[in-house]
Order: sequence, then C-alpha cells, then structure tokens
Amino acid sequence: MIPLNLTPVSARLRLGLAALATAVALPAAAQELTIIREIDSNHYDAPRTAALAGSEVLFMMADTVVGLAEDMKTIEPLLAESWTVSDDGLTYTFKIRGDVTFCDGKKMTSEDVAYSLNRWLDPETKSPVRWRMGDVKSITAPDATTVVYELNAPHSELLYQLAQSFGSIVDKDTVEKLGKDFGVTGFNGTGPFCWESWTPRDKLVLTRHEDYHWGPANYENRGPAQVEKITWQVVPEAATRTVALMTGQGQVSPYVPFIGVDKLRKAPMVELAESDEAFWTNYIGFKIDKDGVDDPRVRQAINWAVDQAAMAEDLFFGEVQPAYSYVSKGALDYDPKVEPLLQKYDPEKAAQLLDEAGWKLNADGKREKDGKLLQPVVYTFTGSWQQVVESVQAYLLKVGIDMQIQPFDATVAWGKLATQEFDMFTMGFPYVSAGDALNLYFRSSNMPSPNRMNWNDPETDKLLYEGSTAVSDEVRAKDYGVVQEKVTEAAVWLPIYHKPMQIAYSNKLKPFTAHNIYGAGLYKGLQLGYK
Amino acid sequence: MTLAATDPEDITAVTEEGTATAAPPARAHWFRRLLRDRAAALALFTLTLIILGALFAPLLAPFDPASNSRSIMTPPAWSSMGEPQHLLGTDGQGRDILSRLLYGTRLTLLIGFVAVGIGGAIGSLIGLLSAFYARLDPWVMRGVDVLLSFPAILLGLALVAVMGQGITPVIIALAVSSVPDCARIARGIAVGVMKQEFIEAGRAVGLSDLALFNRYLLRNCISSIMIFISLRFGQVVLIGATLSFLGLGARPPAAELGMMASQGREFLLFAPHIAVIPSVLIFVIVLSANVAGDALRDVLDPRLQA
Repeated sequence: MIPLNLTPVSARLRLGLAALATAVALPAAAQELTIIREIDSNHYDAPRTAALAGSEVLFMMADTVVGLAEDMKTIEPLLAESWTVSDDGLTYTFKIRGDVTFCDGKKMTSEDVAYSLNRWLDPETKSPVRWRMGDVKSITAPDATTVVYELNAPHSELLYQLAQSFGSIVDKDTVEKLGKDFGVTGFNGTGPFCWESWTPRDKLVLTRHEDYHWGPANYENRGPAQVEKITWQVVPEAATRTVALMTGQGQVSPYVPFIGVDKLRKAPMVELAESDEAFWTNYIGFKIDKDGVDDPRVRQAINWAVDQAAMAEDLFFGEVQPAYSYVSKGALDYDPKVEPLLQKYDPEKAAQLLDEAGWKLNADGKREKDGKLLQPVVYTFTGSWQQVVESVQAYLLKVGIDMQIQPFDATVAWGKLATQEFDMFTMGFPYVSAGDALNLYFRSSNMPSPNRMNWNDPETDKLLYEGSTAVSDEVRAKDYGVVQEKVTEAAVWLPIYHKPMQIAYSNKLKPFTAHNIYGAGLYKGLQLGYK
Repeated sequence: MTLAATDPEDITAVTEEGTATAAPPARAHWFRRLLRDRAAALALFTLTLIILGALFAPLLAPFDPASNSRSIMTPPAWSSMGEPQHLLGTDGQGRDILSRLLYGTRLTLLIGFVAVGIGGAIGSLIGLLSAFYARLDPWVMRGVDVLLSFPAILLGLALVAVMGQGITPVIIALAVSSVPDCARIARGIAVGVMKQEFIEAGRAVGLSDLALFNRYLLRNCISSIMIFISLRFGQVVLIGATLSFLGLGARPPAAELGMMASQGREFLLFAPHIAVIPSVLIFVIVLSANVAGDALRDVLDPRLQA
C-alpha cells in the first residue's frame, strides 16, 4: 500500500564499511551511470508492489498508458497517443501507438495493454493498489490500436492512476513464461531501459533500450536514453551514500540524508535537483478508538504540543516543509479552508485541552486521570523514523504526556501495523492529489490497514465515494475538501513534514528537474546524460 | 591445583589447609597487592569514578537527559563553536551529551551487572552441580556445549523480535550467553576440588549432600568463579552495547551508551563527537573492567602464584 521507505534488517547489520565496499563499483565509463539508493524492492512485478523502490525502477523499465509531467497535473500521451472520455465519465477509449516494441524486439499491441491492465485488476494478482483502478467493468482491446476502459462508476482520477507504475505495460508471453519469477529473474517492458540482472539487496543493472523513441513530451530527449547502462546500487548507510556521491562512486542519488543536503549543495562536484512542491507526507496517526487517544481533545493537544517547524529546522536542516495539513499545498484538491483549523505549536493550548479532558498533572509532571497515566504507545520503524518520534516524545513530555516508543524492524513492522495493539503509528506516503491520500486512509472499508486509525465515518465514506466518482473537478474538490476539514478538526493524525524531492547528482551530468511521481524522482531516466 | 578451604569452623578443611598447596599467607593484603599494580590501580580508580558518576547521575547531570532543545549538535565546550553550558556538546535532538552519558552509563552498567549476576549465578550452579553429581556431568555439559554455540547477538535479535525492544530481552540474552562460559569454568574448578581428599572425608563423616556442596565445594570454588565473572563483565558490557547499537536495547528517551553511539552514527561526518564520546566511554569501561579483572585474578588465584 505504502512505499517501503525503510532499511531492512540485514541492511542495518551491514555497517558502513561493508556498504562502502559494495559501492566501490568500477569507475563508470562515460556511458554508464550508478544510482545510489537506500533499499531494494522485494520484486519488480508492477501490480504486486507498492514499494517506492519498485516503482522507481519500473518507471524506467516499462511505460504506462499515459505519462505525467513534472507539474504533477498535466497528463502526457505515452503508449496512448490520444484518448477520449465519454460524457458520463464511464468509458475511456485509448488510441495506442503502433510503433512501440518491447525490450526483446517484439511489437507491442493493444492486446498487451489490455492484458497488463486486466492482470492488475485480477483478484488473483492480489494487487495492494487495485483500488486505484476504480470500479472497472471491463478493459478490452477491440483492435490492434484501441483499448476501451469501461467503468461502472466514474473515476475522476483514472488518468493520474494509470500514469503510476502499477499500470506498467508488460509482455504477456514473458509474464506467462516466468510465472512467479516475473520481475525477479527477468522482465520485458517497453521502457527506455531493459532488465539485465538483479542481485537482491545489492544492485539492479539496466541497459539501454535502443529502439526507444516514444518518451513522454515533458522530456526534451524522447529516446533512446543517453546512457547505455544504469546500475541501481543499494547503499543502506546514509553517511556512506553521501560519501559515495562526493567521491564519485555514484553519479545520482535520490536518497541523500537531510544532514548531507546542504553539504552537497556546496560541494563543487555535486549538483542538486530540487522540487519546490512536496508530494510526500510523513505523519503519526492515532488509533482513535483506543483509551486516551479516543478523546479528540487529547489528539488535538498532541498536535498543539509538537513544534513541527522546529523539527523541520533541527532534524531535517530546513530541507522539508513542516506539515500541519494532511496533504501539501501543491496537491490537486488541497483545500485551503483547512488553514484556520490547523493546530500549530502552542504548548499552553495543549496543556489547557488536557486539563479540560481531565488529564491533570501529577507530582512527577506527568498527566494522570483516575490513577492512570497518559502513556500512548507508538509503533514505528527502526531507522530514520526513530529520530522523529524521539523528538515528538520530548515535546509531549513537556506537556506531561509520556509517549512510549516501540520500534520494529521493517520485516515485522508492517505486520504489527496491521494489528489493533498500538495507540499511535508512523507512516509516510506519496500522492498526486488529496483524493489519493483520503481514499487510501479514510475509507472505513480500509480498516484495519491502511485505515489504521479506525476512522469509521459514514459521511466520510459517502463524500469519498462521491468525490472519486465525480465527473466535474469542482464537485470532487468540494467533497474532498469537506473530508479534509473533518479529519483535521478531529485531529486523526499528527502531520509531521512534507518532503520535497531532492536528487543529488554529479556535475558531469546535464542538469535536470526532479519529478515527484510516487516519490520516484528520476521517473523515466531519459534526462540522465553526461555533459 | 587446589584451593584452600575458607571455612574456619570446618575441621576437615583446617586439617586440609596444611596440605593445600596454596594457602596464600598474604591473602589479607590482597587489596594492597592489587594496588601495587599501577595499571590495575588506575583501572580500579577509573571504574570507581564511572560507577560513582552513574550512581549519582541525577545529582551530577546538568540537564534532563530526555529534554530536547533548539541548540542541536553543539560541539563540546572546549571547541570554538561549543557552548559553555553543554560541556560535551549536544546530540542530534539538542540533548545534553554529558547528562545522557551519566544516565547512559547507569543503564549500561546496570545491564552488565544484572546480566552477569544472573548468568554467572545460574552458570556456576550448573557447573558445580555437574561436577558434584558426576552422573549428570556428560548430559549437562553437552547441553552447555549447545548453548555455547549460540551467539548472544542472534539470541538478542530473536528475543527482541518476540518481546519487543527493551532492556529485559537484552539482559536475558546476555545472561543466557554468560551461562555456558560460567558453567564450564565452574565445572573445571569444581572437578579439581571434588578430587580432594577432604571431600571424601566429608562424605565419610556422613555430611549431607547439601552441607558437602555448600561448605566444601562452593566455598572452595567461589573466589575463582568470581574472578572469572569479573572478567566476563567487560565482555557483557560490550555485547550489551552492541545490541543497543543495533537498536535492540533501551527504549528512548532512555539513554544507553551503545544506543547513543548508534544515534550519533548518522552524524558521523558532520558532528563526530555525538558518536565518539559514548564509544570512548564504552572502551574505557570495558578496558578498565578487563584490566581490573586480570589483576584481581593475578592477586587472588593461587594457581598463578609462584
């Protein structure tokens, strides 16, 4: 559901030196490029992974029906050169290009498009992101260049969703030949790069797709790619990644630790591609039916008690935007009406709300009610999240809330986060629009995960349904706006920060813009080339 | 290869004392002899200082170790960028490193003492019983061998996966990993003692197993075992810090030296003092404990005396 922006356990054990050793790749020849990243994906089968580590490679190996421009709003033709939408918003007819070939040289047809999308839809695929497709009636390919996508109810965000990596178009024969090993031992897509080899948790090597010339229009170079070979190298240690970039062991990294960003900005050999807008939000959610945090006043108090602005400055060195709203301002359908409702830093107000809720300070300076201490338990991931929750813990301690931190390694964390054991949890997610976030997290049908808050509100369900099936932008924005106001007032989350995309790259490369699609800042990789 | 009986009321033991090879005449002055070894004296002094600092942490610490501030990653006071109120600087959350160090040492030492105490007690008991009841010996010692092959860090990882992060699983893992070592050492010493004639004499005068075990065996072995345990302490502190470094130990906001080093790792390039200071302290504790333990053995173990 949510990209796994985490460090796996074995990665944690491999300390800096080991990582450095693996990163010491041969000095890249002029047409080779090493991209340094934090973690690997468990596999590269598009509809079956929601991991960012999966998407960032899939965008390079495969194409989607439509593309998305850097502004995160403009839909670009990609495999479909044009499309029409029926007036009732139920039927999308795509005209598929006739000159596209797969990596193995085979011609791609509308059959492959329909096959790939139907595979995403198929319950047997068990796609965790099937909801993104809307309420599909059928997806068919009536002739070699036409695909008809029929819905039972309108899905106003369909084109944005089809631009995501989950809708990657792949070759039917290869999928059937490799079976469960598709995306593990091999891959066959139409993207600018082709699968060469994968050593899990170490590196994935891609080679140029020589025939590629159908890149989306937001790229100056629409194909073939400028570099012959790309290696995605996993370097789990943050400090080692910074060093690897500064010493030229890698040329590009979207995973720069915040502390290193400013250093890299000043480093002569390294450039930084930064986006102004953020499409990734990290938050702490409340399980709103657990004792203590079931009281909205307590949740609001926690919101008032935490100084996100100071955290953004001190923990993230000013590289992120402090978050008070549930999605960033740049997101489609962000509702400016939430602004007066946002609970910014005011510890006195927090104390006052806690007093009102009956949680009084005891002799130790802790909040207590009926002999019970206010000690919400937060489940979190080991690694970079821990710093954030420790900071929150310190802020809460100042108003007398004794938050208990329970970190888990990523291998067990996801399972733990699907239980009802905790009072609070940490999570981060990429999005295009407000609807993306709201439909994922606040539908009652998504309890207990990803709706880990147990937010069960019929009106929200109704508004979300209406919003996602709206045919007009105004209706959708209005519906999603009401939901944003509702959840903000109820303080279901403690938003922490919005993270803009930052990609560090060697100054030997041509300058480029960072994309924000699903947090995969390099998108198709067509912009990557030496000066 | 024998030890003096220490029970003055025990007639058999007193009789044995004459024949025992190592009734150290200078035993009463062992501490003085210990201090004559300069390295040992320094180690003991350092350890005492560290233990006192840990004990009186609440009085000594200038700040609340959990309280954050806006002055983050301040270097130690003696450097040009330092702030005088933060003698050793602040960490990535703006917490005072000196205060965290004092509290962290407390936890680190506590983990070490408790783990080595529990593990040492259980291990020694197993070893002694195994020597005392010779029929049990092969079975018990094979079990101990199995335990010996199980690394403490792996055990810690497994326990944390089941019990969640905290110092309890770490203490258990460390205690369990100390059991086989202590059992082997205790058994080795006890087997030697069991061969002594006073044991047989004790049996001959009809002493119960309990009395024989307690008065004859245990009291003859205890000092050697204690020396081993004191040496083991340094290792346990080190493994404990390693587990905390891996994020398995103390839960925040509590401070623990290994955990502090781990938290500082992220800033190693930019603010090395955050990781270096706790690491140095771990090093000093382990080194002092080992040097002191070694010296203690030299002084107390009769086998090492010419």
